[in-house]
Amino acid sequence: MLGKLAYRNMRRSARDYLVYFLTMTVVTALMFAFNSLIFTKEIEELFDMAGLMMALVGLATFFIVLIVAWLINYMVRFMLEKRSQEFGIYLLIGMKKKEIARLYIRENALLGIGAFLMGMVLGVFLQQVILAVLYSMIQIRYNIHMEFNASCILMTAGCFWGCYVLALLRSGRRFRKMNIHDLMEAQKKNEEIKESHEQLKKWLFPVSLLFLGAFAMFIFLGGIQGMGSVLFFLVGLVLVIYLFYIGLSSFIVCYVRRGGNGIYRGQNLFLLRQFSSKLKTMSFTMGTLTALFTVAFLGCTVALMFSDYQNKLLETKFPFDVQVYSGDVKDDFADEMAVIEESAKVLDAFSYHIYADIPESGRADQVNVWLLTHLKVFGDMYRNQDGSPDLKKIEKDSADGGFYCRYDTYMKLSDYNHLREMLGYKAVLLKEGEYLIHIKERIREETGTLHEDILIEGDEGALDFAGYYSEPFSQDGHNGGDYVIVVPDSAVAALTPYYSELAVDIEGTAPLNLGKRLDELTEPEDWEEEEDNSVAGHKWMAGNSCCGSDTIIVMSVTNMVRDNLIPEAKYMLSALIFPCFYIGLVFLCVALTVLSVHQLSDSARYKFRYAVLGKLGMNRREIGRVILKQLAAYYLCPVFLACVIGGSVSVFMSGKFIFYTGIHTAVINYFGLSFLLFFGIYVLYFITTYVSFKRNVEVNERHW
Amino acid sequence: MKDYIRVCDVEKYYGNASNVTKAIDRVSFTVAQGEFVGIMGASGSGKTTLLNMMSTIDRVTAGHIWYGDTDIAEMKENDLAEFRKENLGFVFQDYNLLDTLTIEENIILAMTLRREGKKGIQRKCDEMLRLLGIADIRGKFPYQVSGGQKQRCACARALVNHPRLILADEPTGALDSRSAQTLLETFTGMNQKMQATILMVTHDAFSASYCGRILFLKDGRIFHELVRGSKKRRDFLNEILDVLALTGGEVSDAG
Repeated sequence: MLGKLAYRNMRRSARDYLVYFLTMTVVTALMFAFNSLIFTKEIEELFDMAGLMMALVGLATFFIVLIVAWLINYMVRFMLEKRSQEFGIYLLIGMKKKEIARLYIRENALLGIGAFLMGMVLGVFLQQVILAVLYSMIQIRYNIHMEFNASCILMTAGCFWGCYVLALLRSGRRFRKMNIHDLMEAQKKNEEIKESHEQLKKWLFPVSLLFLGAFAMFIFLGGIQGMGSVLFFLVGLVLVIYLFYIGLSSFIVCYVRRGGNGIYRGQNLFLLRQFSSKLKTMSFTMGTLTALFTVAFLGCTVALMFSDYQNKLLETKFPFDVQVYSGDVKDDFADEMAVIEESAKVLDAFSYHIYADIPESGRADQVNVWLLTHLKVFGDMYRNQDGSPDLKKIEKDSADGGFYCRYDTYMKLSDYNHLREMLGYKAVLLKEGEYLIHIKERIREETGTLHEDILIEGDEGALDFAGYYSEPFSQDGHNGGDYVIVVPDSAVAALTPYYSELAVDIEGTAPLNLGKRLDELTEPEDWEEEEDNSVAGHKWMAGNSCCGSDTIIVMSVTNMVRDNLIPEAKYMLSALIFPCFYIGLVFLCVALTVLSVHQLSDSARYKFRYAVLGKLGMNRREIGRVILKQLAAYYLCPVFLACVIGGSVSVFMSGKFIFYTGIHTAVINYFGLSFLLFFGIYVLYFITTYVSFKRNVEVNERHW
Repeated sequence: MKDYIRVCDVEKYYGNASNVTKAIDRVSFTVAQGEFVGIMGASGSGKTTLLNMMSTIDRVTAGHIWYGDTDIAEMKENDLAEFRKENLGFVFQDYNLLDTLTIEENIILAMTLRREGKKGIQRKCDEMLRLLGIADIRGKFPYQVSGGQKQRCACARALVNHPRLILADEPTGALDSRSAQTLLETFTGMNQKMQATILMVTHDAFSASYCGRILFLKDGRIFHELVRGSKKRRDFLNEILDVLALTGGEVSDAG
């Protein structure tokens, strides 16, 4: 009999809490699909960095388990409260508390098993989608196949049941504490609206708004620096998120009490009171929802940022099929060529030198110094107090391979044109007595007066500046760091070869292990020699390696094989993108579920409110509109707050991201896109809630 | 005087073709303006169904209900809402006050839905609060006041738009006898001082004794009618109890 009761009750709660049930299903599916990223054998074998994905998905899973446990606990408590009268009746007819608790736990377990099984079915499909996306990102053909990795299923099940057991244990404790009277009364509890100190609390609303404004201002003006202010704003934000709703509710209450003109129009009075009383009883939940939305927004924005980078910039980072750096200017790259020729057909191989103006002219590092003191990336890092360049620091940092080499980097015009031809760019003509600068596009915008401030000397006196070029040119330590100065061949006589480069054009795609094999050529002992410039006959120049001023994503490797590096880089980025989306999606779904379930259970419980409106002479259309307005306010409020907070943080983040990576995207883009994505899911939940809400209320009308 | 409200041959059936329940079976009566009419009957006699049809919440299966020249049996859903807003006031057993609004706001809401101005609304509301003696609890929420006060608030809300008819469904059902008496006196006052027309459904003889005329319903039909005339209320009560005794077994219920 108890089993039957549990089953019936489960069916009923599944219908009542359909949104919750579906969300649990979707969450299970997401868990399974994303967990399978960790357990895919092929990928594990392919990349050294598979551990990174594992770590990040694991980290995301940790937070998700916490949040889902919160959701389950919240829902279990919520259902318990809504059904307390029913449990009271069970007690009254002689059931023991233990039996009821067992009944309730059994119901929830049934609901959980249902959601879990459905979620696994959905998860298998989702897994295909996610793996297909990942594989196409890292450019490997994906053959659809079901992968039932036992550990993946186990992990998903473990996470899922972990949440459940935690939540259910707590509700068991609640049962033991309850008595019949409390149970029968519990349902009437939150109809009480306590209004106290409203006048005082109402100030929380403008204060919160002011704080948010200040926060946005500070974040844009860069005023948040140092641990102190970060901590201040973090604590402030958490407080604001939670106090905002108390303030807003009191603000509305005061407005209504004062008899503001607005309340005398149409249904405003009803709507305002509904809204404020809802906020009042749920301010803490609303705050938590806001926090969830904010995290979801940020996760999504970060994911979009990196995926944008992956789509737009990654290709430009590796213009050559293969490029090899050697700090030894006498290196003829024979070993490397042998390996490359073994694995692919070489169309063109070109080895050349990067030069430096080493004789003590005082201008040997003039461009480096200019960039280090002028680029926004560096700020005041390399300036003295009086604004002059901090030469000592520059020398120290560049001696062992920093942003830039110790000396400025030069290239011969004929080499330059050969490389341009390899990349399919038009050759450049340079008159005698002229030089040009090939510079990264990101830096190009900041060069300002660079060409006026420097003096490049050729064999017959100063050279004239002929212009900037900024096509993708492998300038992360290969063809210079950030820039290379191109001079006529005749002018090179006065320069010293600085390091050697090999650029190779091969037919088709490079085999997967080429990069690894090239790396193996450079024996560890070779690196030791670098410590001492004169060992083994190699003449190593001081500070002749660098990586350019890229931050966030740095691609500085000695042996660059494009077809190996791009998938690897994409995989690395995916390891960031996927968990971010994962967190974003789950948090959003959890938050929306809480919103929906609350409204739906209210619609069932407070049907009579709409019946009263009907008796007061509102027709169905008007009541429908009231419901729509009420839901809209209720749904939009936490999103609005999350938008303001998440929006300012993510616009700030994207600004920085665009600035440091040099990607061409509007600042608002990432946030806008994630907002759109969210809005889609949002609207879905909203419509579901609205339709069921109306149905609940109207069913009532007919039987009334 | 022309009849104010006319109920003509109203029928209401429930169920499907194989199993029809006649909740109301060809009922006809009239209500004059300013009358205080009671409808009595045992549980299941159809009195609430009749009230629901008169209050446009439920539709008739056959027959007509005329409010002046308007037949609400013929009206469309949307027009009915408008009609309710303009012509009817409700007082129900479970008060039906909105729990998120204060006593005063509950009354205001009824008027704002009719799109009246702020000043007019506030003036009428103050007047109503004073007339029903609930001015001192105006700022309280329904859960903070007694049942009788809640019911008077419901009366105020029903009265404030000066409806053509006030429909009361067991208004004293949830009240203790003292509050019930106060409320019924309020009803009588509303009826006599404000010329409100009231139709009250009750199964309680004491409540019914405040009415001017009582219709007795049994199995969906009117089987008796009592008019108070100039009789004392106590005599009228005895008459009602006699009628109830005739129907058998209902006296104890009406006690």
